[in-house]
Amino acid sequence: MHCAPTATGTFLGMGMAAVTTTQSKRTSSGRPNLTAYLFLMPAVVLVVLFFLIPTILVLYISMTNLTSANFTADIAQMEFIGFANFTTLFNDQFAQKILFNTLFYVLVTMAIFNVGASLFVSLLTTHINRRASFVFRALWLLPRITAGTVYIMMWRRMIADPPFGILNQALGAVGGTPITGSEYVWTFVVIVNGMIGMSFGMVIFTAAIESISKDIMNAALVDGSTMLQRIRYIILPLLRWPLLFVISYQTLSLLTSYEQILLLTNGGPGLYQTEVWALTAYHRALSNYFGNAQWGYGSAFAVVLVVIGVLLAALYMRVFRFRDLVAEPKIETL
Amino acid sequence: MKVDIEQLNKSFGTVVAVHDLNLDIRAGEFVAFLGPSGCGKTTTLLMIAGIYKPTGGVIRFGERVVNTVQPRDRNIGMVFQSYALYPHMSVFENIAYPLKLKGVSKDEQRVRVQRSADVMGIGDLLHRRPGQLSGGQQQRVALGRALVKEPDVLLFDEPLSNLDARLRLTMRGEIKALQKRLGITSIYVTHDQVEALTMADRIAVMNEGLLEAYDTPDDLYDHPKTLFIASFVGNPPMNILPIQAALEGDAVILQNDALRLPVRSERALKAAQQHGDLLMGVRPEDVTLSADGALCGEVFVVEPLGREDMIDVRIGQHRLAALVTTEKRIRAGNRVRLDINADKLQFFDPASKRSILWT
Amino acid sequence: MNVDETLSAPLADLSPTTVVPPPWLKMLIQIARNCLVVTVILALLALVFGSILRPALEAVNVNEELTALLSWLLIAAIPPALYLTVGFTARTLRNAHPARALVVALLAATLVYGATLLWNAAFPAAQAAQGQPSLEMTFAQADSGVVIESIVAGSAAEQAGLRVGDVITAIRRESIDLAALQSRIEEEPLGTPFRLRVQRDGEEFQVTVNSIASATGAGNAALSRAAAGRAVALVVTAVGLLVPFNWLPYLLLGVTLLPLLLGYTWLIVATFSQETHGLLPVDSTGSLGGLTLSNWDFLTEVSRRGSVWTYTLNSFAIAVIMTAALLVLCSMAAYALSRMEFRGRRLFLSFTLILHGFPAVTLLIPIYLVLLNLGALPIIGEYIGFNTLGGIALVEIAFGMPFGVWLMKGFFDNISWDMERSALIDGANRWRTFWEIILPQIRPGLFALGIFSFVGGWNTYLIPATFSTGTRIANLPVYIQQLLGETNPINWNEIAAIGLFQMIPILILFVFAQEYLLNIYSGGSKGSS
Repeated sequence: MHCAPTATGTFLGMGMAAVTTTQSKRTSSGRPNLTAYLFLMPAVVLVVLFFLIPTILVLYISMTNLTSANFTADIAQMEFIGFANFTTLFNDQFAQKILFNTLFYVLVTMAIFNVGASLFVSLLTTHINRRASFVFRALWLLPRITAGTVYIMMWRRMIADPPFGILNQALGAVGGTPITGSEYVWTFVVIVNGMIGMSFGMVIFTAAIESISKDIMNAALVDGSTMLQRIRYIILPLLRWPLLFVISYQTLSLLTSYEQILLLTNGGPGLYQTEVWALTAYHRALSNYFGNAQWGYGSAFAVVLVVIGVLLAALYMRVFRFRDLVAEPKIETL
Repeated sequence: MKVDIEQLNKSFGTVVAVHDLNLDIRAGEFVAFLGPSGCGKTTTLLMIAGIYKPTGGVIRFGERVVNTVQPRDRNIGMVFQSYALYPHMSVFENIAYPLKLKGVSKDEQRVRVQRSADVMGIGDLLHRRPGQLSGGQQQRVALGRALVKEPDVLLFDEPLSNLDARLRLTMRGEIKALQKRLGITSIYVTHDQVEALTMADRIAVMNEGLLEAYDTPDDLYDHPKTLFIASFVGNPPMNILPIQAALEGDAVILQNDALRLPVRSERALKAAQQHGDLLMGVRPEDVTLSADGALCGEVFVVEPLGREDMIDVRIGQHRLAALVTTEKRIRAGNRVRLDINADKLQFFDPASKRSILWT
Repeated sequence: MNVDETLSAPLADLSPTTVVPPPWLKMLIQIARNCLVVTVILALLALVFGSILRPALEAVNVNEELTALLSWLLIAAIPPALYLTVGFTARTLRNAHPARALVVALLAATLVYGATLLWNAAFPAAQAAQGQPSLEMTFAQADSGVVIESIVAGSAAEQAGLRVGDVITAIRRESIDLAALQSRIEEEPLGTPFRLRVQRDGEEFQVTVNSIASATGAGNAALSRAAAGRAVALVVTAVGLLVPFNWLPYLLLGVTLLPLLLGYTWLIVATFSQETHGLLPVDSTGSLGGLTLSNWDFLTEVSRRGSVWTYTLNSFAIAVIMTAALLVLCSMAAYALSRMEFRGRRLFLSFTLILHGFPAVTLLIPIYLVLLNLGALPIIGEYIGFNTLGGIALVEIAFGMPFGVWLMKGFFDNISWDMERSALIDGANRWRTFWEIILPQIRPGLFALGIFSFVGGWNTYLIPATFSTGTRIANLPVYIQQLLGETNPINWNEIAAIGLFQMIPILILFVFAQEYLLNIYSGGSKGSS
């Protein structure tokens, strides 16, 4: 049952468990247990206040014409307009552009960084001196633990015009022509986000690779395989589940996080050039960027993400966490 | 404190772990639950401890039904296979913890912990952490903790299986002696029959959730009521041979395709009254080398056990294990003649797997 | 018996009965194959990015340049990649026959280089795409205007009737000099028609010439470039052949980390200098130097926006409240989910599962309303509503909770059941077991969650920026963003100092708790440690 000695032991097992475990479901669902409910209560209160109610609320607001002009915090006074916001949304030519922006952003960042680079770095760090690999991995964590505003400030200086920008200084040194941030805006949006996102995959892949039994690797060595062959025929096949996990988890995370884009480009330059879906919801409702905050319309954008989010979360958590779910407590209530 | 178990049932979902268990444990008695892993013995113990809730049936401590009594209110002590010492507490704090929870005064805690620790021979380790102790010492601390609150019932869940063989032997004797001295009703779960046989007053043999037998060690060994008990109790295990018994004059002929063995004994006579196929059981120590023995076979394997050799003899397609003194210098490939102690034979009905001799 | 036969059979097959090609030839074939594979892979990728993905994205109105950049990079990477391939392939021969390996590698590299030259010659457009616009003439300044010094034979200019010695006086009616002409040619896009006013032998006429990308320079220039290119090719090949293989991962890791290292280096350098040009500290005149500590004056000064310590205190309050609350809340909830049996356990578990992956930030809009309504509550509303530290902390706690519960549940799941049973038998109830026996066992988990929460709370920007106004409860990240958003010239160096100041607790944690950080930032995909 709890036989996994390492993190990845559990992790690698998870996927398999989803497929093979159809363990006996306990018929008795237990009894109302006051102690347990007391333990859960504070968490439940917060979940209700900040997840359950808001989810219902966002569905409702998306069907009202709430704007800053007729703003009210009282639900009863909001004007219900049915699906009008969604009709507008589907006919909004900018919404279409933003949708494709989002798809581009998610897929490209994921492919290059969150999966590609993280896999690359994990393969490298697991084939070098342990101490050094630890240093590299730790350094990769820096973007994730640096405050977004500080991190973005660094990048803004990185791509600043000459003579201030670091990149342009380097380009100047080798005789290249200076570039501007707005010229390569998507490139930087992807890099800036990717450099944060890749540490997630890196940690998971590294743990998974390190958990591959030494016997298997030794057997492969004895068989005379080269390093590339070992990667191709042993490591990568064993990384199937972690890979799937990282992809599904990071899709959701890229789809819904927008803080870095907000800070780096705020959706610009130009009309919606780097605007993504989640940022639009924020802009419409919570930022004065457009002068008039459109709560209802912004909520319609948010609802789309909420629906996708709930579906994806439910789906992949079912797939990946199944075994955790079926583990039954081994102390019973009398 | 006597413990009574009536019609105890436990199932996890569709899996039945314990089925209609009936046991009575006398006050001061040392009872072992013996069985292979997964037989329901630990589940039963945990129900007695109040960790698992019985699906059906009644557990009584004295006259009190304890089914819904919380573990803390049952006044029991328990020793776990993993010792379950609290790693963040010193030995003293570990042993004092049950007293602290009972609200015993600090001074009394100190006195009682010291007394309990002295009994266990760990009086000088009180300030160490469990992590700094050897396995045997940890086991003593666990025992000390279980004893310190002077429990009515002591529960042991395979307490010795994590110790090395030598230490196991010592602890076995100590626990037994301690239990006799303190006279605390004890239930001891083990899969090691030697432990059960040497320590327990009575042994409850369990198999697949069912009670196979509940008897004294001697009875289990000499009068096994079922084939399971016969083959499970005793090491090396009893030889079981398919056989037919027929009366021939005043002798009984036991024979099958490979052997023919005329014997004279009461047990064989009883067996001969059952026509048809039988299973004959004979312990290796009851098989002897004998120049005029009725059985003849080739030695296949010799396992030196130190004082004796265990030899595995092939008779036709049957195998017979025997214990012989090392002086005989039997080697694999030798042909030997064997005799069987007819007064120690066991007979079982192959269909019901029950003994023909004992009920 | 027959064991020997079966063993010797394959050996017999291996013994050379046919003529084996010499190792250098085998090596060359192998090199050719590998080079082909590398070229095809890179070219295909470039094709996907440049000719498939890019038009597709343009078709749906995504204005991006990344695919073009990638396509260009991939194509540009082909020659060096080939040289490296040559070197790497030749390595297998290196130890046995070093001289032969070297010769084969250099030969192969020369062949590859020749192939790239041929390619460039055959498809000048491919190279020209990167070339400068040119009128295919060279000029010199003269008194009357710009004299044509040479014209590329067969060029458009020659066909338009221009001769060496003609003097260009103007483009259209704009009279020009050499510098102006050259900059015009460079600035205008390729294919721009230049209507040149030309004087020849006192006669004046107009000629229109389209600018095209300059071809490979003729004569000496081409030769010297070829020589240089060949030298580079050989060096790269030698690197591939000779550099110890175990350096490569370090090199690659270093390169990928470079942007980060540069960024953080800038942050530190900028903090101690008046201004920076790239990574160099400069003074107000732009010359090297200008190291100063004045950027750190914010520590003692009170600016228009107030003292930095107010923001620090707010940051600290949010982080500490969040950490404390999450530790208690998550471990309690996780304990119940992991260790207790109760009706609805499966429901709670599934719910936690979904929440763990739930994109909470999408709920900011309705949460604003929730906070407004909470703020309207009597008495406590003052502390937990919109624009209060309590309100911000509450939202942070709620958002951090699903992850925390998962993390802690993983730790609880790994605690021995016997330990807990033992405590219950010793006389503890579940609450005491939790506090006195189980919690001390999962100290690593508490530590991990504590660090995670503190870092999260300390760095948080979006929630305080959204749910607070003004400066009263702004935290450091919000303050930094306010400074960066100012309309007056931004004082980057002071803000860098504030940024570094903000990072100090994080860096301390980073130094002392990397392993915990590495473990937690797997996003709670694990729990045990």
